[in-house]
Amino acid sequence: MSDDLLEDGHPGDGLSALLDGELSPLEEADVQAHLVGCMACRQEMEAVQVARLWIRALPPVEPPIGLYERMLVPYRPGRRRVAMAFVGAAAAVAAVLVSVAPARQQPVSPSVATLIEAHATSSGDGDLVTDLAPAGVPVSVSP
Amino acid sequence: MTDENVPTWEEVARDHGRFLYTVAYRLTGNDDDAQDLVQEVLLRVRKGLETYRPGSLEGWLSRITTNTFLDEVRRRRRRPVDALPENPDWVLPPTVGADEVLAGSALPDDVQSALRRLPPDYRSAVVLCDVVGLPYQEIAGALDVPVGTVRSRIHRGRAMLREALA
Repeated sequence: MSDDLLEDGHPGDGLSALLDGELSPLEEADVQAHLVGCMACRQEMEAVQVARLWIRALPPVEPPIGLYERMLVPYRPGRRRVAMAFVGAAAAVAAVLVSVAPARQQPVSPSVATLIEAHATSSGDGDLVTDLAPAGVPVSVSP
Repeated sequence: MTDENVPTWEEVARDHGRFLYTVAYRLTGNDDDAQDLVQEVLLRVRKGLETYRPGSLEGWLSRITTNTFLDEVRRRRRRPVDALPENPDWVLPPTVGADEVLAGSALPDDVQSALRRLPPDYRSAVVLCDVVGLPYQEIAGALDVPVGTVRSRIHRGRAMLREALA
């Protein structure tokens, strides 16, 4: 007998493998031969055969209408027009902002250059760590 | 779509939407969870998180779906508040009278209900085998377990399902 039989001498999951055509011809012959003389395995075979047929007979399931459309456009169909109107309005606002943007450009005060200069001059010896230390971080490095 | 290219999620939704939803529904057993699962699968496809192996696109999709499903089951187990009644002991047995089940026939709803009561690992193997129709070798690759484990899960899953509808 092949090693497809369990230790107790019965094919066990080899029965499902037989139904699924997953056994080699040799294994299949072994299991078939065993079935002839074993009532318990014939009953087990019948049970899994019936279950297999029931599951395979389950029909395809129609997805709910609009399931994928909702995923492609992340708004519910009923709200889509509202959403599109919102997008339209947002685009219009953006266009206005862009058109007036040049007029609103004003010099930053104080200027970035001034800030950089101020910070550069405030660092006494130019050592960044020394300058940052008073900011509250206790600098204590033990070896 | 060419063989080298990962299918876009729009292609998946358009061409394999029903297949994807069916697998998700058979795994989760209800519409809400199936929709969430489908959404998560499409997200993974969209983000390119799953390596596409040219070949059976539906095999690839069902692998992603099953793994996403099992990830979610594990996540919910870590957070008991969200736990689904996965353990058969937590839920009432389906109310199927002996008279209602004739030998050789069962109502799809009853089969689905019994399927849902299988442990998720068994259910995944059974769905990949009997709903998707993948060979054991491919199921083993999808679930990242040895073929012997697949064989055992399929057999025990079927036996449990038959027992539940006896």
